[in-house]
Amino acid sequence: MNIGDMTDEAPGVRTFRLNFSNEEEGNKFQFQTGQFGLYSVFGAGESTFCIASSPTKKDYIECTFREAGRVTKALRELNIGDTIGFRGPYGNMFPIEKWEGKNLVFVAGGIALPPLRSVIWNCLDLRDKYKNITIIYGAKTVADLVYKDELKEWNARKDVSLVTTVDPGGETPDWAGKIGFVPTVVEETAPDSKDTIAIVCGPPIMIKFTLPVLEKLGFKQDKVYTTLENRMKCGLGKCGRCNIGCTYVCKEGPVFTAEEISKMPDEF
Amino acid sequence: MEKLLNKNSFDSLITGLKKQGYKTIAPKKDNKLVTLEEIQDANEISLDHVITNNSIKEFFFPKTEKILSYTIEKNKVEMEEPEGFAVKSVIFGSRPCDAFSLPVMDKVFNWDCSDKFWVERREAITIVTVACDKCDSYCFCTSVGLAPDAKQGSDVLLTKISNDEYLVETVTEKGENLVKELESVFSDPPSGTPDRQVATVEKKFEIDKVKPWLDDNFQHNVWDEFSYKCIGCGACTFVCPTCHCFDIVDECTMTKGDRVKNWDGCQFTMFTMHTSGHNPRSTQGMRWRQRIMHKFKYYVEKFHSTLCVGCGRCSRVCPADMNISEMLEIISTDKGQPEPVTKE
Repeated sequence: MNIGDMTDEAPGVRTFRLNFSNEEEGNKFQFQTGQFGLYSVFGAGESTFCIASSPTKKDYIECTFREAGRVTKALRELNIGDTIGFRGPYGNMFPIEKWEGKNLVFVAGGIALPPLRSVIWNCLDLRDKYKNITIIYGAKTVADLVYKDELKEWNARKDVSLVTTVDPGGETPDWAGKIGFVPTVVEETAPDSKDTIAIVCGPPIMIKFTLPVLEKLGFKQDKVYTTLENRMKCGLGKCGRCNIGCTYVCKEGPVFTAEEISKMPDEF
Repeated sequence: MEKLLNKNSFDSLITGLKKQGYKTIAPKKDNKLVTLEEIQDANEISLDHVITNNSIKEFFFPKTEKILSYTIEKNKVEMEEPEGFAVKSVIFGSRPCDAFSLPVMDKVFNWDCSDKFWVERREAITIVTVACDKCDSYCFCTSVGLAPDAKQGSDVLLTKISNDEYLVETVTEKGENLVKELESVFSDPPSGTPDRQVATVEKKFEIDKVKPWLDDNFQHNVWDEFSYKCIGCGACTFVCPTCHCFDIVDECTMTKGDRVKNWDGCQFTMFTMHTSGHNPRSTQGMRWRQRIMHKFKYYVEKFHSTLCVGCGRCSRVCPADMNISEMLEIISTDKGQPEPVTKE
């Protein structure tokens, strides 16, 4: 793939818009929201990221990553026009057909908005199929919020209810959003659980605190979805690295319901 | 098909295999160590050992192999997939435990999509197994449902019937074709009932009792107790015929490189560590739990097969003298079982 465009979202966080180097392959490529791929810098290695763009957008895919290690550092050193490798799509998908006719509540924290951004846009591009859409998104500080332009776009839409928050101490003088940890803000916002699907993504600690809040608000475990991450290498269920108990995150996930997670051993 | 093979015919066998275009891998003795490796002459073959130091795994799933090669020139990347890695071979002198690891590993390497590096080698290699006429205290094949003269996974099974003679039984079509190709090497089967010299391997534990205990004891102080002396060297995972975890890394210069698949092991600290520093298995107890759970519970649930063939290599090679069959004996029996402790 080659890098068609790039955006700096937050300190250390960048989005790539990737075009297919081979047009024929690009035309054949299809994926479903929730799936991921392995992106590589030839010479540095591979890294696993979700596909952060919606499948409704043809001709390109996007990924968002934070510079944290060897491969992501090499990715950040690349320029527009440079070539990277991609293999995918792997994994399962968000079952958005099952959610038709329902309200959707998306809850994300920090760098975990990218996996949800794909499904948010997929649902917004099919807006008529869903009832109320609420997005609750928070980060450590204002600067750490990603997709700042899209947040403005979602905020301006009349058919989306957006709540943004930063951790206490992370606000700037002109911050107009909420101040508080995401699980607390979810509790305050108190989305109605009737006929509603909740989709949550965040660092393990945020998920661990948000799931009980949703349960308290009346969300049944099979109506709460999340997407998990684990260290991956092959992405196809062979190398034996990403399993949580019996479940391979790369093959049987990364999308799981809270009910499925409750049956997994506490090993993630 | 049944035939007879005399030790005196080993020379013709190896010469015949070469003529038919096979590479021959057999146990070779070097001082006290017996290792499966490529041989050129029949006099290199040694068959009086209990088990070889290495398993046959590395001939199907090498320690390291290129899965992609690339050249980089002014931002243009040319990729090349490897070819010719599956070489027509015969492994002469595998043990039944090793041979059985192949259908076990077939399951994961063909799960949903096939690993061509495994599949093509499986097609290219013929397994001639020699049944065990002796065993040692580390062997426990009978505890995992196998036997020292089991046939599953082999193409041909040889069983000693006298000092110089082996009964030859073909198990698969591939094995039958091999014996037919080298017809002159074999003689007619013995008349009467041959005196098969097969070891008696004492059963150490009831495998049926292991999984039910594992189902209920993800949290248990036994995991820390079992792994207290483990130094995380990973030797057990490397010598094990059914351990198959691997790593994928790039190795390169400025203008060309390879993407390489290397053996890895769940006993290493870094195995599951995230870049953020978060590690789902941060203690050796958790990693040891993963080893036992994977082999005796997860693989059973997923593929209806135990991921262990009872060869005992892990225990033989462990520098800390840990013994997997002793642990399974504790897990599967009522007496000597540690008191469960609810632990976070």
